[in-house]
Order: sequence, then C-alpha cells, then structure tokens
Amino acid sequence: MIRRWKRWRRWQPVLLSMVFALTIVLSNCGGSPDATDSPEASSPAASSEQQALVFGLGGQPANLEPGNITDNNSIYVHEQIYDRLVHFEPGTTSPVPGLATEWSASEDGLTWTFTLREGVTFHDGTPFNAEAVRVNVERWWDPASPTGYRDAGRGYEIWPGLFGGFKGDEASSLVSLNVVDDYTIEFVLNQPFAAFPVAIGSGYFGIASPTAIEEAGPDYGTPGSTAVGTGPYVLDEWRSGDRVILSANPDYWDGAPAEEQLVVRFITDPSARLAELRAGSIDFTVELAPDQLQEIEGDDNLEAVFRESFNVGYLGLNTGFEPLADVRVRKAIALAINRPEIVSAFWGELGVSDPHFLPPSMENFNANDLEVYPYDPEQAKQLLSEAGYADGFDLEMYYMPVSRPYFPTPKPIAEAFAADLSAIGINVSLQTKDWAVYIEDSKKPPGFQSFMLGWTGDYGDPDNFYYYHFGPGGTTDIGEWKSDRVIELLNQARAEDDQGAREQAYAEVDKILYDEVVRIPIVHSQPLLAQRTNIQGWNPSPLGSEPFNTVSKE
Amino acid sequence: MLRYIVRRLLGLVPVFLGITLLVFTLLHAIPGDPAVFLMGERATPDQIAAFREQMGLNEPLPIQYLTFLGSLLRLDFGNSIVTGIPIAAEIGRRWAASFELTASAVLFSILVGVPAGIIAAVRKNSWVDNLAMTVSLVGVSMPVYWLGLLLIYLFAVNLGWLPPSGRIGISEGFGFQPITGFYVLDALLRFNFTALRDILAHLILPAIALGTIPLAIVARLTRSAMLEVLSQDYIRTARAKGLLERWVILKHALKNALLPVITIIGLQFGTLLSSAVLTETIFSWPGIGEWIYGGILARDYPVVQGGVVFVSITFVLINLLVDLSYAFFDPRIQYK
Repeated sequence: MIRRWKRWRRWQPVLLSMVFALTIVLSNCGGSPDATDSPEASSPAASSEQQALVFGLGGQPANLEPGNITDNNSIYVHEQIYDRLVHFEPGTTSPVPGLATEWSASEDGLTWTFTLREGVTFHDGTPFNAEAVRVNVERWWDPASPTGYRDAGRGYEIWPGLFGGFKGDEASSLVSLNVVDDYTIEFVLNQPFAAFPVAIGSGYFGIASPTAIEEAGPDYGTPGSTAVGTGPYVLDEWRSGDRVILSANPDYWDGAPAEEQLVVRFITDPSARLAELRAGSIDFTVELAPDQLQEIEGDDNLEAVFRESFNVGYLGLNTGFEPLADVRVRKAIALAINRPEIVSAFWGELGVSDPHFLPPSMENFNANDLEVYPYDPEQAKQLLSEAGYADGFDLEMYYMPVSRPYFPTPKPIAEAFAADLSAIGINVSLQTKDWAVYIEDSKKPPGFQSFMLGWTGDYGDPDNFYYYHFGPGGTTDIGEWKSDRVIELLNQARAEDDQGAREQAYAEVDKILYDEVVRIPIVHSQPLLAQRTNIQGWNPSPLGSEPFNTVSKE
Repeated sequence: MLRYIVRRLLGLVPVFLGITLLVFTLLHAIPGDPAVFLMGERATPDQIAAFREQMGLNEPLPIQYLTFLGSLLRLDFGNSIVTGIPIAAEIGRRWAASFELTASAVLFSILVGVPAGIIAAVRKNSWVDNLAMTVSLVGVSMPVYWLGLLLIYLFAVNLGWLPPSGRIGISEGFGFQPITGFYVLDALLRFNFTALRDILAHLILPAIALGTIPLAIVARLTRSAMLEVLSQDYIRTARAKGLLERWVILKHALKNALLPVITIIGLQFGTLLSSAVLTETIFSWPGIGEWIYGGILARDYPVVQGGVVFVSITFVLINLLVDLSYAFFDPRIQYK
C-alpha cells in the first residue's frame, strides 16, 4: 500500500498538470469565439491572409546580405527586398535604370559616373543617396570597411570573382570610389570595362540600408536579424529553414506590388515542390527537373513556365593531352557526338543545341553563319586517320558528380558521349571526383584529358562567359590553349563603348572558338518553372531571378 | 541516485572529447573545400587560397582542433563559414522542430508497434501475427524518401486530406509566435486552436514516414519479450488466481515485457534524431538534420561540428534518461 502511494505521489504532478491543461482546452473551446486578445487576431496580416502570394523556393537562402551570397535561393529573396544600381528590362538581359537613372563612361573608359534616383528611401526610412552606395560598395571591396565585419567571417567572395580583387590587390579593377554629390557617384577603374554597369547590376549587389547594417552588426541578413533595402517587398520575418514573410512596399518607385503579402517557402526537394504546387499550398515555383514537365502538363490547374536559357553545358578538350593537341581530332570528336539526339533524350523541350558558347538570350553577340557540327561518324573517322589516329586512342572523360541545370544527369549523358565516341574508335573511360575537388583539379595542370562542365551567367554580357573561359589565365584546364586574337578581341570589347563594334568583336570570337573546338557547347538548358493557372504577371528573367511586384493572384 | 547521475554526467567528458575528435577528423578527411562550394565553377586557385587564409583553414589541423575545442568550452559554436549565421542561434531555432518530429515519430511507433506486438504474441502464429510482422517488415524496408513521397502524393495531392509539407500553413503561420519552438505546445499555450489543428495535420505524414523505421523494431521486440514473459510461472499463477486475461496481459505481462522495449525506444529516439535528414528534407521540416546535411555538402566545418556535437550529446543524455526510467518499470533496479 505504501509503495503504491509513493508511486502515486511520483506521478501526481504529471497527472494534475494534464488535467489542468485539459480543463483549459475544454473551457476555451466553449468560451468566446472572438478571443480578441490573442496575438493572431491582432496581427495586421489576418485581413489579407487569403491573398498572400506563396512562392516555393528551392531551399533556404544562405543569407540576405548583398555581396556575400552566390546561391540562387538567396538571390531570389534579395531581388524582392533590394534594388541594384542597374536593373534589366523584364524578361531580357538589356540594362535599364534601377537605383541609378543614368550612367556613362569617361573618354578613356576608366571612370564610370552614375546619376542616382532621387526621392527613394529604404524600408527603415533612411534616405537613399550616394553615401549609401559608397558604404555598400566599400563593404564588398575594401577589407578595411568598418561595416564589412570580416573578422566575423564575412568573405564577399563574389566581388573579386567579378572585379579582379579587393582594394589594395594589384588585380582589383576598381581603383577608387568618389562621392561627387548627393546623387552622383564615380567608379574609377584600372582598365576600361564596358560591361561594368551590367556587372554591378547583377543580382549579388543589392543596395542595403547603411543604418540597418550598422545597427544589426555582424548578424545583418541572418535569420534572427534584419535585411533592409529599397525593393518592392519589405522583410517581416525569416523563420529559419521554413519561410520568409514579406509585405508590400506601397511606396516602391517602380510600381507597388500587386499583392500585399508574399511568403517564400523553402522546399528543397523538387518532387515535394511540385506536390505542394499541385496541392495548391504554393502558387508558383522554380527549379523543377526536366522529367517533371509531363506531370505539370497533365494537371489542369498548373502551367509550365519557361525561363530563357542563360547557361552553357560543354565538353572540355584538354590540348595538353597529346591526341587532342591536333584540331582535327577535336573536330572529329565534335562530329562523332550525336548532339541533337542526346539533347532531345536528356532535356526534351528544355534544351537548345546550337553552335555557340553564349546562350541564346545574347544571340546578338553571336556569329550568325555557323551551323552545329553535324552528326557524321564517317567524316570523324576520316579526320582521325588524317591525324594519325586511325585506330583511335584511349581517353579519360570526367563527368560531374553533381547535377547542375546545364547537366541535370551528368553520368548518363557522359555514357552517351562515350558510346558515340567508341563508334569512331576512341575508348572512353569515365571518371569523376568529389565536386569541390573536381573543380580544383580540373584547373590544376595537367588537368583532365576531357571533362564536362558548364557556366551560368552572372550578368548579361558576353564578357562574363568569355573572359573567364578564354581570357588570359582562363585556360589552365584545356592545356593552356591560347588564341592571341581571341584575347585581343576580348580586351578590345572590354574597352569599347559602341554596341555595334562590340557585337562584331564577339562574333569573331564566336567564329574562332567554333573552329578551334576546345570547349564544345553541348546544350543551353532552359530552367523549368511552374505556376497555378490563377497566377498572372510572372515574367521570368533569363538572368535567373526577378522581382515579384507584377505577380498577382486571382 | 544523485550520485549515479553525477557519475554518468562525468562519464560524458571522455565521450565529448571522443565525439569532437571524431567529427573533426572525419570532416577534414573528406576532400573538398568550402571556398569551391561558395564560388562554384568560378573559383580560382588564388581566391581559394585567400579564403582559406581568412577562415583560418591554413592553420595546422591540431591547432584548428584545439581552437574548436576551446570555443566549444566557452559555449561558442562560432559562425557558419558559408552563410555567416551564428551556429548556436541556429541550433536554438531548429532543435525543437527536430525534437517535435522525432517524438511524434516515436509516439507513432509505440502506439502502433506495441499493440501490434502484443496481439502478435497473444495470437502467436495466427494470421494476425503474420500480418503484423510482415507489415512492420515492409515498413522498415521501404526507403523513407520513397515512402514520404508516396504519402504526400496520396494524402496531400490526390485526397487533399493533409498538407504536403512544412510545419504550419500559410494563413495560420502569419502572426503565429512560437514560445518554446515546439509548435504543438506553443499553439496550446497561445490557446490558438486553429493553428493547433493545422500544426497537428502537418505533423502526421512526416511522423508516419519517420516512425516506420522504429515501428518494426518496436513491434518485433514487444512480441518476443511478451512471448518470453507469458511463459513465466507468475503469469500462470495470475491466471490461476482467476484474473481476467486482459489484466494478466496488460498489467502483469506487459509491464515486465516493456523493459527491453523502452531501451530500444530510447536508443531509437537518438538514432531518429540524427537520421531524420531525409524526412526533414522531403517534408521541408526546418530541423537540425536538414541543416547539418546542407553543411556537409558545403564543407561548412563549423556547422557540421557544432550540429553533430549537439546531437551526440543529446543522444547520450536521452540514454541516461532511459536508464533512469528503468527504476519505475522494475522496482528491483536501484541506482547506487
């Protein structure tokens, strides 16, 4: 008896609290239905909850701090919160005024002057002006910037990636930054760079409120902190791993958003994203897999949406490997691979096969008299024997261990290449490495004999595709292959302000690369997006993300 | 009892050192570099070198390990080198989500697994027994990823009964201010029953998907433990006393059969907590597993180190609690 009592005593508090909880639950159920004191009822969101626009993003943003991100998930959310100096005409890569209303280069092409938009304020009320631009650019560029928080681990890797280096580095394109007056700012460069406005307008470089950055300190742009820009939507809350809640900026200079509330949910798995869309719990989404197109088309409530391609998936041929030093062998490989069939098998409607390294959204910079190398194994064999490889040779081919939009399923694609090449006597052995090592090793001489890789543009200028791959120092992965003429043309186009002359220079580059076949463009892939049929006004940009102020829900 | 607890807690110290050393060594043994992850195809050797220098990745490994250990002792988990997000804060934001999911999964496995095990034991070798054991075997053999998608498509897309993923709906999510991070509890504390219903609805599918892993083990173990106990003399005595069969089974037999089951449930709780990666990913569940997984892919050393240390310590503590709970189920056990 005593033991039983003891045991009862041990459990008494638990039982009593359960009874208590139950009482509260029951009494509340029967109680007044308009519990006005609950925080939910007083939320400003309650009135507009039916209308909230819900976007399914492919994962959580790395952070909401401009200049410190490179992933698509971050850029998408940045695009809603921040503006850049230069924007792009919706659905194209043509620059239009953003926070800068106009810009021009000096005679010598070294100084870029931007005139800024007046009357714009950040979401926290801080006025936007040249000083705000200076603070932002200095955090990215100047390691000594007091608001750069480099001690707390901020890296700003993308800045040297696009502009050569940080302040003080020899290779830094930016030499000085001058505030001329409240609404004018100058960028002085070490060499002419015609694509500068487009590069500084890329999705990485949103302008954030200097006051907010200073107040938040090193935590700026992380889930518990703030992110304040001038963009169409204002950040209300970031629930880590789950969602970002934004509300419309009614004073947005480029037109207030059509919807009052935007919720961005993070859904990593593409199948789960499509399931959410079909269930109606999200309204529109991105980064679906090509094989999901059929499912989208089979659902009456959904519409497939296409984004114009802004990437290239290529097969790199290393001229440092003896047989590939001969251009005839490289051409033979291009002729032996059945590109149309491979592209239609792996990408379906979502892949474009053309002779150019640049994606179709920049076709005005391409040579227009080129044809895709036809599938012609006979001619390929003939070229091989002319080059002295009538019996073929052994070739190592590296395929990427990860899926990228330009090569969604690298291994089967590589197997298709290998099968085609074996038909002309080239014995391919397929290899791969861990992704990070793959990239490192491909660039470390001697590199791979042949490899699959690709590129997604940062901004809408050919320079971003060409200079990295064919400029000085950009060819360690293809056996230091060099064309002086290509380098000359690339530099010339960098310095040239005239659009026509630039188009001509890049067209010649395109032609030379076509003849040299060092990186064979296999595909330009279109990302697959989808929306519910009651969504209107979504105009995907080839650049990879766009603001949602024009998107509305019926 | 207190002494026992203190001794067990002291025993955590070598475990802690072992875990940190193991995580650190394994992580640095994987090839790859966070700089390459950050810059992707763009990374140049110069930039990689500069990044490594800035992040302190060029220090000799033993120094890096001691630095890591030193900051852990100050309870400073550091910041993610990929996102800059403070790790301690992120664990604080995410652990409750993982616990809630894991607890629900364990609850599911108990609610289904224990009765199934009992019935199977009482009706040994009948069709019920065979069915229960077959179903639980199928459950454990099915990949969580596939099962998760199957559940989503069946119950969310086709039938529309339950939400496909996430922790809370869109309209319910506005203004829902978590207190503890356990949404079910928070909804109760806020007397927000619309949200509560929604939160429970969001829990069902991921809990089932994750719960099938321990389900088979719980069911099979309950069955074999019950079979053993049911053949004991005191059960015969109880029956001979004329007790109702229901009481013999539920009170006399089950309680004694439960001891091994509880051990395994405790172990499973820890295992599930660390293996919920796939479930959290497919159900967009904002927990620790999904976060550590992202950290591994990005070679984000501080995130993985901090996350794994947290999960391992939790695992050890849960097992301690399980050991302590034996005393309740078997009064013969005393802690000295």
